[in-house]
Amino acid sequence: MSDGSVMTTASGCHIFSGCGYPAPSISDFYFKPIFTVGGIAITKPVVLAVLAAVIILTFFYVAFRKPKLVPRGTQNLGELGVLFVRDQILRQQLGRKGDKYLPFIVAIFFFVWIMNLFSLIPLIQFPATSKIAFPAGLALVVWVTYITIGIRAKGPIGYFKRMAVPEGAPWWILPLLAPVELFSNILVRPFTLAIRLFANMLSGHLLLLVFGLASWYLFSLSIGLLFSVTSFLLTIILTGLEVLITALQAFIFATLTSFYIADALETSH
Amino acid sequence: MNGRGAPKSERDPSQPRPPSEGWAYLSYMIGGMALYGFVGWLAARWTGWPVLFPIGMLVGLASAIALIIFRVTRS
Repeated sequence: MSDGSVMTTASGCHIFSGCGYPAPSISDFYFKPIFTVGGIAITKPVVLAVLAAVIILTFFYVAFRKPKLVPRGTQNLGELGVLFVRDQILRQQLGRKGDKYLPFIVAIFFFVWIMNLFSLIPLIQFPATSKIAFPAGLALVVWVTYITIGIRAKGPIGYFKRMAVPEGAPWWILPLLAPVELFSNILVRPFTLAIRLFANMLSGHLLLLVFGLASWYLFSLSIGLLFSVTSFLLTIILTGLEVLITALQAFIFATLTSFYIADALETSH
Repeated sequence: MNGRGAPKSERDPSQPRPPSEGWAYLSYMIGGMALYGFVGWLAARWTGWPVLFPIGMLVGLASAIALIIFRVTRS
């Protein structure tokens, strides 16, 4: 829950009490610094991102500390997660030769997923990924990774030739198409990767805020009660939808990351 | 002559294309319109003919569609 103005104005504010609907806004995505370290203000999203990293590190450390041939308990769960990422995300794009990128994709998938899931954990209820800085930072990491892999696989000239020349196109149309191919492969990719995740989590959080606040605001012993109940039902349904979206967005982010790596590695035409 | 989405040897042609293909098409559409739209906008500023801006966007859209067609028919 944000410490924006909405929550304070919303308390005790109901319909027919001469109080307008305290609509959630972008200010609910800005937080007061919790504390400051060396001039850098630490806010809730930063804490959540660190918390996500700690949760993942602890989980996988506990799961694979003493790996056994027949997995039990936490190791079972950890293997389930890693195998899901390997079989459903990585090998779909890269085949078996992509297994050396498994740690990277597993880290990306679980980091994004846990940061998304914070949207639904009671008392936290804020997806760190709805701040553009986190998706943008992750997209930057992915961007540097796939370009480095591409250059190492084919050399700088070979790689950029492959990024710029669309296969199957006749030579006379290349001056028109090559800039688009290069632009979309080098610049649009990281941009859309970040925006997709950010916009989905921002809008999801905003939707939950709108209906959550509305069910409180419309609550009164009048016809408003009907709207309040409807709003509350919608909040529950949308929370269910958000459960799906948190996982789906992490899945898409990891899938596209492995696709970009596959595309960078692929032998030339 | 490999398909872009995955190496041809590992992709079963009877299977649907991976979802990443769709995102690649989207990035062509955005990229084409943004790039040639920008070029058209610059040209419009320079020449003083505002019609060059929408023409640039249309050229970008057409190039994006051409790219997608080449990609689909060759892989």
